[in-house]
Amino acid sequence: MITATGITKNYQRGAESFAALKGVSLNINEGDFICLLGPSGAGKTTLLNILGCMDAPADGDLVIAGQKVVTSGRRQLTDAKLDRFRRKHIGFIFTDFFLIPSLTALENVEMPLLWSGKPNRERAKELLASVNMDHRLNHRPTELSGGEMQRVAIARALVNNPRILLADEPTGNLDTKTRDTILDLFDHLNQQGLTIVLATHDHEIAERVTQVVRLNEGRLEG
Amino acid sequence: MGVWFGLAIKNLLRRPTRSILTILGVTIAIAVLYSLLQFQVNYEKGLKKELGALGAHVMVVPKGCPYEAATIVLHGGKWPRYMDEAVLEKVKSVPGIAQTAGIIMDAILDFEKNENRIFMGIDEDYPKIRGNWHVQGSWFTGAKDEIILGENVAKLEGLKVGDTYYLKEKDCSFKVIGILAATHSQDDGFYFLHRKTLQKVFDLPEKLVVILVKLADIEQADKVVAKIRTMDGNLNVFPLSELLSTVGNLVQSTNIFVLAIVFIAIAISAVGVLNTILMAVYERTKEIGMMKAVGASRSDIFKLIWLETLVVCTTGGLFGVGLALAFAKVIESFVRSALPYASRSEALIGLSLSDSLACVLFSVVLGLIAGWYPACHAASVKPMEAIRTE
Ligand SMILES: Nc1ncnc2c1ncn2[C@@H]1O[C@H](COP(=O)(O)OP(=O)(O)OP(=O)(O)O)[C@@H](O)[C@H]1O
Ligand SMILES: [Mg+2]
Repeated sequence: MITATGITKNYQRGAESFAALKGVSLNINEGDFICLLGPSGAGKTTLLNILGCMDAPADGDLVIAGQKVVTSGRRQLTDAKLDRFRRKHIGFIFTDFFLIPSLTALENVEMPLLWSGKPNRERAKELLASVNMDHRLNHRPTELSGGEMQRVAIARALVNNPRILLADEPTGNLDTKTRDTILDLFDHLNQQGLTIVLATHDHEIAERVTQVVRLNEGRLEG
Repeated sequence: MGVWFGLAIKNLLRRPTRSILTILGVTIAIAVLYSLLQFQVNYEKGLKKELGALGAHVMVVPKGCPYEAATIVLHGGKWPRYMDEAVLEKVKSVPGIAQTAGIIMDAILDFEKNENRIFMGIDEDYPKIRGNWHVQGSWFTGAKDEIILGENVAKLEGLKVGDTYYLKEKDCSFKVIGILAATHSQDDGFYFLHRKTLQKVFDLPEKLVVILVKLADIEQADKVVAKIRTMDGNLNVFPLSELLSTVGNLVQSTNIFVLAIVFIAIAISAVGVLNTILMAVYERTKEIGMMKAVGASRSDIFKLIWLETLVVCTTGGLFGVGLALAFAKVIESFVRSALPYASRSEALIGLSLSDSLACVLFSVVLGLIAGWYPACHAASVKPMEAIRTE
């Protein structure tokens, strides 16, 4: 599903260049549920953004669903094509949910459909129902709890029917009980065939997930 | 598309005061633009109508400023230049002339009340040139104390046929022998005396201010004008077509000046729009990055921000036309007080579909231009950097 080879990424910090990823190679198969485990600053977010086509690596190859995205550090798709590709294949979830405060739960979920040019309220409702949020359709984010907001965000990430879900510390702001319901939801989605990559520094999560990839100081371990 | 609009409007409503003030800026600029467009058209229309109603083709006046002469002829007034009545006979003798009318005029100005009473000294020839003259009561019989009042004057003074009009400034009494039925021209606002009477009362013996000339054949205008120009007596001879273009040019040159100011106002409002939208984009950088992260493309973001600008400008444009129409009377009275040539027979600011459309279209274009940069900026937001910023 995703093949990354020799991915590097440098950040400019003032005059010096800082290597956040130092040659990461990773193969993710369809239907995998992978936990990307590593301490803070290891480069998890950086790697996830590259896998999600939101950021470009300095060097390396990236192939997603058979599409060459990056070859030897060079983008293979134009901006517009990359936008469309990303929308079609990849769903994103963040620690801070990133819902639009002025829109209701339903409108937030429907928004990505707007971008793909086919707004569909029913689909948005279905998805909210599948994450057990159908009782909060018309609530705004400020009127929802953290766990509820994350469930709305998951519904939104899935609305375009992506095959890959990238989750960056999705339970970082949640208590352990809420965290477990979210993880159960992930398990459920994974069983339906969704490929999931979850980045976290939480070892308890890593224990629940079968495939764990350890990242430290920009390198994969073990 | 409806959903897009909904989203754009929701975004604008997040900062209602700021959005409303920005819209107001556009509203005012477009209101001024609409008023000016209307003014330009209607002013000329009114002028043409009035010159047409004058009934004459050529105007002979003593030498002086041609614009002043035009005002005098169209609106009446005091003019310190006169020609001898003898000129009238000479003009009459020029071949190709169908009708002439010699006119003497004077005005009593009351600056305190801002009232002008304009007295026109005429004879039988004047109605012949004017055409649609119907006097209720009777025409001058030859007595020295007769007056005919324009329709509006009669109403203003509260006088009927048979009443006496006392002219305090000259200590003279006149008998109202006739009232001119409404002509919907400047005549409605004049006091008419027989030429001889006026010359006597205002102490202007054998003087004239203007001679109106109607031609037998309008094609011969150049010839007749040339002939009158050879006569001595220090005359200015205007074919009315020339007068129209002279006044037209004068108004046009002021219009260009006013238009320049309008465009500055519009430019300022456009900068206001740009500023507001750009601020909104900066504020929402994180949100824009997030929208991109969940599937919005560059062009989606561009469209959304552009649409927001369009909503602001188009709303401003629609309100602007509405504002211009709502305040048409106020603007009009202001323009009239500043511009002496304005005709009263034609509304200066009226409802015009094409001008409304032009203004709204203009505001749309304004939005397209003002929104370009903020939309480009928003489209180029890098999602990961945007999300990282606190
Ligand atoms: N835009 C940036 N400019 C400079 N340095 C950056 C930038 N983004 C990340 N870094 C650095 O790169 C390294 C990896 O960052 P990254 O965010 O990928 O870590 P992480 O594993 O996600 O950490 P956390 O668990 O705290 O989220 C860190 O040292 C970070 O300071
Ligand atoms: Mg991180």
